Amino acid sequence: MTGYLLRRAGQSVAVVIGLMIVTFIMIHLVPGSAARSVLGVRATPGRIAIFDSTYGLNEPLYRQFLTYLDQVVHGNFGTSYLLQEPVSTLIAQRVPKDLVLVGISTALALAIALPMGIYQAVRRDRLDDHLLTGASFTLYSMPDFFFAIVLIAIFSVQLHVFPPEAPSATSLGGILADPRALVLPVVTLALVTLASYSRYMRSSAIEVLAQDYIRVVRAKGVPERLVLSRHVLRNAALPVVTMVGLSFPNIIAGAVIAEEVFNYPGMGLLMYQASTSHDFPILLGCTLVIGVATVVGSLAADISYAILDPRVHYGRG
Amino acid sequence: MRTIRRLVMAGAAVTLVAAVAACSGGSSGSAIGSGNGNGSPTGTKEKGGTVTMAWIAAAPNFIFPLSPATNSDGYNANLTQPMWPNLVYNGDGGASAVNPQESLYSSMTWGNDDKTISITLKPWKWSDGTPITSRDFAFSYNLLKANYQNWIDYLPGLFPTDVTSVSTPTPHTVVIDLDRSYNPDFYTEDVLGFVPLLPQHAWDKTSASGTVGNYDETAAGAKAVYAFLQKEGGDMATFTTNPLWKVVDGPWKLASFSTSGDYSYVPNQNYSGPDKPTLAKWINAEYTTDTAQLDALRAGGSLDVGTLPLNDVQQVAVLKSEGYSVASQPLPGVAAITPNLYNAQAGPMLRQLYVRQAMEYLINRKQIVSKVYAGYADPGNGPVPVQAFGQWASPLEKSGGPYPYDPAKAVSLLTAHGWKVVPGGTSTCQRPGTGASDCGAGIAAGHPLSFQLLYSSGQAAMDEQEAAIQSSEEQGGINITLKSEPFNTLVGVFGVCTASSHPASTCGWQLVDEGYIPFNLYPAGSSLFNTGGLNNNGGYSNPEEDSLINATEYGSSAQAFDQYEDYTAEQLPWLWLPLQSNVWVYKSNLAGFAPLNPISGGLNPEVWYYTK
Repeated sequence: MTGYLLRRAGQSVAVVIGLMIVTFIMIHLVPGSAARSVLGVRATPGRIAIFDSTYGLNEPLYRQFLTYLDQVVHGNFGTSYLLQEPVSTLIAQRVPKDLVLVGISTALALAIALPMGIYQAVRRDRLDDHLLTGASFTLYSMPDFFFAIVLIAIFSVQLHVFPPEAPSATSLGGILADPRALVLPVVTLALVTLASYSRYMRSSAIEVLAQDYIRVVRAKGVPERLVLSRHVLRNAALPVVTMVGLSFPNIIAGAVIAEEVFNYPGMGLLMYQASTSHDFPILLGCTLVIGVATVVGSLAADISYAILDPRVHYGRG
Repeated sequence: MRTIRRLVMAGAAVTLVAAVAACSGGSSGSAIGSGNGNGSPTGTKEKGGTVTMAWIAAAPNFIFPLSPATNSDGYNANLTQPMWPNLVYNGDGGASAVNPQESLYSSMTWGNDDKTISITLKPWKWSDGTPITSRDFAFSYNLLKANYQNWIDYLPGLFPTDVTSVSTPTPHTVVIDLDRSYNPDFYTEDVLGFVPLLPQHAWDKTSASGTVGNYDETAAGAKAVYAFLQKEGGDMATFTTNPLWKVVDGPWKLASFSTSGDYSYVPNQNYSGPDKPTLAKWINAEYTTDTAQLDALRAGGSLDVGTLPLNDVQQVAVLKSEGYSVASQPLPGVAAITPNLYNAQAGPMLRQLYVRQAMEYLINRKQIVSKVYAGYADPGNGPVPVQAFGQWASPLEKSGGPYPYDPAKAVSLLTAHGWKVVPGGTSTCQRPGTGASDCGAGIAAGHPLSFQLLYSSGQAAMDEQEAAIQSSEEQGGINITLKSEPFNTLVGVFGVCTASSHPASTCGWQLVDEGYIPFNLYPAGSSLFNTGGLNNNGGYSNPEEDSLINATEYGSSAQAFDQYEDYTAEQLPWLWLPLQSNVWVYKSNLAGFAPLNPISGGLNPEVWYYTK
């Protein structure tokens, strides 16, 4: 296992460096210049020269990349052109927000989707299965901003039950101290992801339920509740675990809408705004963080396999 | 207007203000009186209270009032102006005029053929009790003189490089000698309106632990002081704790600041001006989008002031039922389509005045104002907005401008110049040539009258406006293809293009609507329409125009401005468009809110108060 982890860690470093190179080249291929984007259409040549010199943009591209790599190794992600703050500070401010929003909404979605998928598999092709399938497809096909607006209109504007804004604090404790304000954004994101998780879970559970070992367990007289919780859930959850592990970038991207509507500036919104304003340091920094998180998520999924499925062993060739 | 300064969002006005001229200057000099322009609200004044005001993606990031050249965050002025107002305070209530209450001088006299300015400072004090003196002005000047290239508000050729000397004969008198004559209105409002006074007794140091000295009096010292203040000015974590920023001369002191963009003020208890704050606290809350802010307003409770997107104007009734009032604010700027006069395909047509005239006749500005902007817009009759700059708008502009909507005149103009006009289709040139009744130089027989119009995407109102223009231009057979781009992509391809400089990468555009160009207090056309102007993207060049613009900037004739304005309106270096107003929503019991200052970063919350 240790050898496997070391190999994967090595691969991960290579993947992250490759990702940085590709991202670095791609964002420098975008038409227009960072200086004009930041200083405006009427920036004088002199002011553009100062800007380029300040940020090293007058250097050859390879040298810019090497400088950036050197900075990253020393824990410096550079300074945002537009926000004039260290990128590491900006990310540090937003990561807790995303951890809370994405973490709680994913946990909520899984808490509902896993039993729901198994329930549907067990009740396959019956009325309640059809109803839940219809509900899943409805949720899956509707954009998250629509959920957000509807939830705000009902629970904030009409009923005044929940505030229309997510917590404005930047620390983990501060965010969690205002749970009412978290309800609507968390529910919005959870509803979107819930639909896809439950569909995967249903398909996977149907497959597991048809396996011989399930018949054997049932023939031995094991109570159905234990059959489902001990044998079906663990095995059927494997594809969903993989999906969760790899879905981090998508969830961050998907959170942009929730961040905008609920006035909750997280990583997604930071990246989006940076991408429309040639703020390269933020783009690179966020890509790096998300890339690392994806690699770690993938690794965590693999390790989870071994825990969920005793047949899976790593490091034996 | 020399060029574009930092864009600052400001307040709103209850009515569309016909601003009263209150221009300072003139060769004879003038003493400014008293009387803040912010309305006369009724109700019993309640001492204290908090106003929470929403801003959309407007987070400041720099507190030292002189921002570096690489920091283009226009909202820094919003942060600093309430604490360090400029020598000349632009915007008086809802009027686009110098504010006599908030300005730091009591009189300004021009002499020596408008090359010397004598300024008398008011006997005011800094928040720590130290008098504000001419030494503080000299300190600001010395810092800028040594560091002007790293000052975001520096305009080539103007302050401080046009200053030959600054003297301080008395503690409250400053004499500035300039290297040429200027129009006093222009210089007072557009130049000195961007120079703050800085507390020399507290800031003239080169390190946090160093002592205050007269370092600014040498170039090296001034550079060191400036570098130190800029370094401290960017450290957002210490905005509220750094002793430097506790010394202010404006009505407000910073109470809290969050890097997420939220910040708040409390009154400067030692403010010397007559309008001392009544509110106990003024909170500025950052919102990611106008939708999020509108939701907060509709949910009630947390917000006292916010803006209303024009596509949500129908929410006014709901908001009023929630206890809000609504006020509109005409923006001080000009909205227009810029024609690229030297574009290889479109240039020969766009250089013809009659073509531009036909295009302007076909823009139904009144309809755009009523349908696209729900009435909240300036009509856009020429280069000066008549609502925000009533005192500068000429009779011609006030009467609707030289080219009111008239499709028949457009068709007539085109036909008279040799075009086969195909309403609903594409007109073509039938009589090539350079004669008075021909299409014009460079336009071949059969050449189609069609253009591409590039504009900034992401705003529903802009989409609607461009679609309306496209549709109405069809009546003259002028075919417009619309193309929208994200603003930051647009600025990458929208370069300054002239006859001699036409790089393909930034001059491939034909027509661009980039939104609006903000004016300073003096809304002249320098840099926009003069030959080689920094912001003259289309390459318009006309000696008479240049001469008229120079007269507004360097001359002192009272008629110069009207002459420039009418000539520019008629010559159409740009195609004039309506300019949308800001619409503000505020708690109905918040008095003094409207009319708001349209020009300055300061919204004058010192005159706001709640009524019982």
